[in-house]
Amino acid sequence: MNKILQKEFHVERDDYANAGMASSQIKSTLKQVGVDPKVMRRIAVAAYEAEINMIIHAWGGVVYLDVTEDGMIHLIFQDCGPGIPDLEKAMTPGWSTASKKARELGFGAGMGLPNIKRVSDEFTIESSPAGTSIFLTFRVEE
Amino acid sequence: MNRKSAVTYTLSRCVKCLKCVKACPTSALTMEKSRIHVNQERCINCGQCIRACHSRGLIAQGSTLDDIASYDYTVCMLPSSLSSSCASIEEAEEMFYAIKSLGFDEVIDLSPLEGQLMEETWRIASEMEEGGGIASFCPVVNRLVETTYPMLMEHMIPLNYPSEIMARQIRKRPNGDKIGIFLFCECESKLTLAKYPYGGQHYETDHAVALVDIFPKIKKNMKKGNLDVTLCREGLQSCNPAVMMQRPDYLIADGYDKINSILNMEEFGLLDTFKLLYLFPCFNGCIGGHLLWGNSYLNRNNIDELTGKRRLPVTDLPLEDLYGTVINERKDGRSFKEKMQYFNRVNEVLEHLPGYDCSACGMQTCRIMAEEIAKGRKNVSDCRVLAAIKGGSDDNSTAD
Repeated sequence: MNKILQKEFHVERDDYANAGMASSQIKSTLKQVGVDPKVMRRIAVAAYEAEINMIIHAWGGVVYLDVTEDGMIHLIFQDCGPGIPDLEKAMTPGWSTASKKARELGFGAGMGLPNIKRVSDEFTIESSPAGTSIFLTFRVEE
Repeated sequence: MNRKSAVTYTLSRCVKCLKCVKACPTSALTMEKSRIHVNQERCINCGQCIRACHSRGLIAQGSTLDDIASYDYTVCMLPSSLSSSCASIEEAEEMFYAIKSLGFDEVIDLSPLEGQLMEETWRIASEMEEGGGIASFCPVVNRLVETTYPMLMEHMIPLNYPSEIMARQIRKRPNGDKIGIFLFCECESKLTLAKYPYGGQHYETDHAVALVDIFPKIKKNMKKGNLDVTLCREGLQSCNPAVMMQRPDYLIADGYDKINSILNMEEFGLLDTFKLLYLFPCFNGCIGGHLLWGNSYLNRNNIDELTGKRRLPVTDLPLEDLYGTVINERKDGRSFKEKMQYFNRVNEVLEHLPGYDCSACGMQTCRIMAEEIAKGRKNVSDCRVLAAIKGGSDDNSTAD
């Protein structure tokens, strides 16, 4: 399928200061296009969660935003490792590797990946010790 | 829907400094052929351009009191933010008398209704299932969400403006259609909630008056008598963020930058733990409205004094009277494919522009300029920076 828009955003390892920058740029790009607000909101929520995961749990990586001719918005989050040992567990709502302290602060509810899946129209995840890739698709045209 | 901006431009005063163009948060202002144009669809009536203008070339002017003469019976509605500027209940009684003496048959204090709306806002928000609600009392916030944060539209609390709810109640009276309904306004954006002067044809309020314009007349009538006044505490609180802070489920914020940061975060769903976002673009909330004359830092402490001895309960209007649409989804009718084609065309043009966002061409940013070029209304040659660079290199070539 022909791509009518292609962008990529780099997420640096441990760069907490700029956490959320890629999702902000994606959000502002989609606003400039004028994407349907309901779809845009789902994309914003998924992109933010996935980007933060790359910083907290992985060693940074690249986010790709592709829009194809058939009115699909694709987001790919490709991180540099260390990978998720048990994908099934990671996809279980409530399951989390976060420390007790992080949970007390309101993080690590174990809803990250399940939420991303819930708001996307298509969701695929692949993981190996070399890195994790999440492929998300959102349908724009009704 | 036809919209009219509250911003009025006076060409003879304009010194073409472009301060207003640069100050606009929604890129609504442009300078073309040496005069300022306000894009009605983009303008959110926040008044930032008015405050950026040092030569009074931009103002928000309300209706005049001359209009009172066109009606047999007139009613004037006063917002809580105005009452809050009185240091004591005695001063409020004098002020209400002074305002009635301007020629009104009746003065209506909006504080009990504003109080009911605040309580109803809270009730609706606490029952919302996903995420928090956004309070709908401020026309600037509503327009901002509409133009800039459309994904938060579903979070808007569906309550109408207090002035509009009250105006509808007044219209229901016998001969209500003959009553002239006036609203005294503490900020530019509220001037648009009436038929005059800014064409809000779907509102029941007839005239909106800017409080600063009539302040000298009110002052002249002060200390000449008093009108019985009893205010509603909840109403006064509803326009004063400083006294609402203690509620842990509210996220209350004032100031334009802060509310933008909040709306940006909420788009990612990061503030869902709050039940209600109560946002005031003006510093110190509505009591800091720019058409008030008082000192809002002092005035925010007046509530106890004003409602200590006696106070009114909130109104108990039927709920259906409170609801209303304050926000409209914007549909431009283009398909996604057309939107993408236009977006790509704008980006192609943008690559040729310098990207300084200097506004010298009259457009706020290079992106706005690129949009104008993509629409065929401007040419790349209208960019002054490119023209200067080109001119410079020509000079060099002659020197060679």
